[in-house]
Amino acid sequence: MKKIQPWLGLAARLILGGTLIVAGYLKFDELDKSQMAVRAYEMLPISLANFLGIVVPFFELAVGILLVIGAAVRISGALSALLMIGFMIAISQAWARGLSIDCGCFGGGGQVPEGEANYLTPLLRDTGLALLGIYLTLFPHTKFGLDKSPAPATQLGESNNG
Amino acid sequence: MAKQPGKDNFTRNLVIAVVVGVLLIMLVPTLLSRQTDSSASIPANVSADRGYGVVFNGELTGVPVVDIYEDFQCPVCAQFTQLNGPYIESLIAEKKATVVYHTLSFLGPESVNAANAAACSADEGKFLDYHRLLMMNQKQENSGAWDNTFLASLGQTAGITSQKFSSCVNKGEYVGWVSNVAAAGAKANVNSTPTVFVNGKEIDRNASEYFDAAKFKAAVERG
Repeated sequence: MKKIQPWLGLAARLILGGTLIVAGYLKFDELDKSQMAVRAYEMLPISLANFLGIVVPFFELAVGILLVIGAAVRISGALSALLMIGFMIAISQAWARGLSIDCGCFGGGGQVPEGEANYLTPLLRDTGLALLGIYLTLFPHTKFGLDKSPAPATQLGESNNG
Repeated sequence: MAKQPGKDNFTRNLVIAVVVGVLLIMLVPTLLSRQTDSSASIPANVSADRGYGVVFNGELTGVPVVDIYEDFQCPVCAQFTQLNGPYIESLIAEKKATVVYHTLSFLGPESVNAANAAACSADEGKFLDYHRLLMMNQKQENSGAWDNTFLASLGQTAGITSQKFSSCVNKGEYVGWVSNVAAAGAKANVNSTPTVFVNGKEIDRNASEYFDAAKFKAAVERG
């Protein structure tokens, strides 16, 4: 397990970070839509929703890039887990209230015709990503990262490391 | 987490600072550009008090106020215009309602081009004709079809001959106004297009008041 853990961490970093970069980048080009997506969840005051619609894509990009290059992994992992939990709350309440909206996870967003909303897929995806974030918060020492490992032994000569 | 001092940590911290710093430097002007720019030039018949929309019959009182939010590239908006456009134009012509067009641009750069060109057509008193032509001539979204050359030539189809119109289109004279319209639409909580408010209240999407001409008419007359 000791030997595998950094590799698992690397995989978690790349999946979580890569997804965040893609999600942030796709929204980046269409911030009007991103704002619309947040408003459509009908969870927050409109001005705050509009603010988040712009801030979230930047946040996703920043955290995603840090994860991929492996800098500040613990904090980035924790922040992305919190972000995913926030998304899950938003999606669940939209589902429970029967709103007809696009999740806006990877760009897009806003109202959709009755019966076209799909909440299960994004919810499952965000659950998985949140778990990866939590894993990285607990075990932030990963392969090929900029963060320092606690003991040099995990970087070199791993075969001697039991 | 035991952090070891050393030059490696310096690299790491530098990288973190650069990533966070660059994104913050990009975020701040983006947030500021979303503020309403009251110095942007506005086309004829536009009222800042009515969310920067293009207003028809603004002087009437005691008639319904119909606010229409749409994006020129939105296919559903074209269907809406095809179905309800003649009725809406008759409301304007017969002075039975105040009608405000809000030309949103969330579908991308060619929506901005089109909204700017529509604003130029408002200066020529041809907004309704130009609006109808745009909706009838929708192309693949952001495919390059709605460049300013095309939009200027579409003006001639609408019977606009002035040189001022094509220079207004090409200069993007009202691009600042277009983003003001978008900001006002965001404040009005418009989350899809088309969205129609009658006397400030959205008509009922689920009761097919958008795509049943008779129900739309009833919704407007209900006020």
